[in-house]
Amino acid sequence: MTALVTGATGFLGGAVVARLLAHGTEPIRCLVRASSRAARLERLAESHAELSLVHGSLASPEAALAAIGDADLVYHLAAGTGGAAADLFLNTVVASKNLLEGLLRRPQPPKVVLVSSFGVYGTAGLARGALVDEDTALEAHPERRDLYSQAKLRQEKLFREYRDRHGFPLTVVRPGVIYGPGGTPISSRVGLNLAGLFLHLGGRNLLPLTYVDNCAEALVVAGARGGTDGQVYNVVDDDLPTCADYLRRYQREVRALRAIRLPYPVSQALSWLCERYYEHSQGQLPAFFTPYRTAASWGGNRFSNAKLKSLGWQPIVSTDEGLRRTFAALAS
Amino acid sequence: MKQNSQSRSPGARRPLRVAIVGCGKIADGHVDEIRKMPEQAQVVAVCDREGLMAEQLATRFAVPAHYDDFAHMLEQERPDVVHVTTPPQSHAALALQALAAGCHVYVEKPFALDGAQAAQIVAAAESQRRKITVGYSSLFDPPILRLREMVAEGLLGEPLHVESFYGYNLDGPFGKALLADPGHWVHGLPGKLFHNIIDHMLNKIVDFVPDDVPQVTALASALRPERSGDERDTMMDELRVLVRGQRVTGYGTFSSHIRPAAQFVRVYGTRNIAHVDLLARTVTLESSPKLPSAIGRLVPPFEQASALVGQGLSNLGRFLRSDFQYFAGLRHLMSLFFDSIVNDGPAPISHRDILRISWMMDEIFRQVRAQSPAAEGIA
Repeated sequence: MTALVTGATGFLGGAVVARLLAHGTEPIRCLVRASSRAARLERLAESHAELSLVHGSLASPEAALAAIGDADLVYHLAAGTGGAAADLFLNTVVASKNLLEGLLRRPQPPKVVLVSSFGVYGTAGLARGALVDEDTALEAHPERRDLYSQAKLRQEKLFREYRDRHGFPLTVVRPGVIYGPGGTPISSRVGLNLAGLFLHLGGRNLLPLTYVDNCAEALVVAGARGGTDGQVYNVVDDDLPTCADYLRRYQREVRALRAIRLPYPVSQALSWLCERYYEHSQGQLPAFFTPYRTAASWGGNRFSNAKLKSLGWQPIVSTDEGLRRTFAALAS
Repeated sequence: MKQNSQSRSPGARRPLRVAIVGCGKIADGHVDEIRKMPEQAQVVAVCDREGLMAEQLATRFAVPAHYDDFAHMLEQERPDVVHVTTPPQSHAALALQALAAGCHVYVEKPFALDGAQAAQIVAAAESQRRKITVGYSSLFDPPILRLREMVAEGLLGEPLHVESFYGYNLDGPFGKALLADPGHWVHGLPGKLFHNIIDHMLNKIVDFVPDDVPQVTALASALRPERSGDERDTMMDELRVLVRGQRVTGYGTFSSHIRPAAQFVRVYGTRNIAHVDLLARTVTLESSPKLPSAIGRLVPPFEQASALVGQGLSNLGRFLRSDFQYFAGLRHLMSLFFDSIVNDGPAPISHRDILRISWMMDEIFRQVRAQSPAAEGIA
């Protein structure tokens, strides 16, 4: 079975390639854009004949088709992670459309494992402490959410539209907060750094962590197992810490932060003020916080990985060990 | 195609119906600023050849309609005004199509690929009796407006020389994108990177050099150490331009490497020199010492510090009044353009200036091409 990994040079992409190699998947094609730093993958390819780097892009259906080649299974990780709205949509949604148009030119389209995000859930309307699982409703007001969530929502919708129309096999994986050495040190779910002062917003909320290798394993399992077509799987590890636990351990094992704890009602009040000022000043300062986004990001939920475990997935690195490795890398 | 209703009844005061074609980054600014002037205009539709891009813009700003076919949008929406915010390669074709459909047209900078295209658009606007303008929004930012007032008040005396500096950071998202991709549309422009940006540098000079055809000398180089072995290597990243008119001279600097990536204009008059910092949004005057000897040399720094403090306080006042907006110039330019449509008055930027800048860019790029690595047989 030939696998293609888009976004292979990214944080999660590198781990997916490693897990595919560990599972003995071959051959593995890695899509590498001209702007990507691929030295690590190139070194890996030197020692693994089953691994090949495909230099190209998802800038057009033709380019996507060339990247797909004879792949039977596509792990679609490539997405925009920041920048202006137009860039984010171009790199996430339009690139996905090109991939879909490209794969549909194959007589038998490959199976796609799409990496989505917890950001697609409509968590703003949930009660504090409510369970977020695969049955949780998707965001009904994308325009009120952050740009990343908007782009991921549209991307998922696009894949579902194409699947409904053309019937190719599709599995959607929605990771929580992916962490590990080389990843983001502190998720925005814990808090935000504001000019040297860390605003601790997460408090005692559970932090839906998934160690990068565990998340990569989940993708590989979802791709390899039968019966996953049309299914969605959330990815979180076991023994999730609270945001406060994470921050405490970060401070102890990495470095001290000048942090201020903002209780949820205070965050909501500040968000309200921020939104009012944005409206009053006609956008003189961006609306960093709005009550809706604050509810979606810091409202506090519980999470489940039961459906993923029903596929046979198990975390290969415990949360305690994952945090130890991550903080050790950050400290060094 | 039947005429737009605004054109049939120019005295009407209903908001102008604006359509945007090209839903990239700058289109956000256009839609957002037009939303702030609901009595003057409203965005009725957005269009992009890639329908998903049009959809995302419409969704985020609650625009009622979005299209992936420009002709279809013109037919369905019959806008009064079309804003062309696509890459420059399609500006002329879209502007001409919109003018033929009876629309007034705002074209983002650069106006066109060359002077011939610019002349074609201007001629079409004049024959259709429709307004056109170009996105020289920085000319309408508050500091430049203040500079114009100072010149009009005679504070500078007669301007004899102008310096326009435009610093650019190739490490930003746009710079990274075009350096990563040899197929990026910037590499297909006659003036490449310069073509997309130097209007901002030149329009400040042209404002003070009245000649139709001044003498223009351009010096360009590429100081990036990286080489890709393809089209990207022909892209120059440093430019110096000397403009010599009958009485007034101008000097323009575009730099991708000087830090900070400042943006300023200095106008040298027979009485005083004005310095406009476009990023800090300050306008200060430098005058001859009023006192003799050592005292005369002692006082000016205090005068300059006092002037800057005054500017800072003025900007703070603007901020507190919510009048310190990033797109202030864009909004002001659009507002003047819409007024010119409704009142059938002169457009905020003259056709002559549009054509003079287009000609000047042609001349600069002609000289730059002769100095490019490709001309030396490297690419």
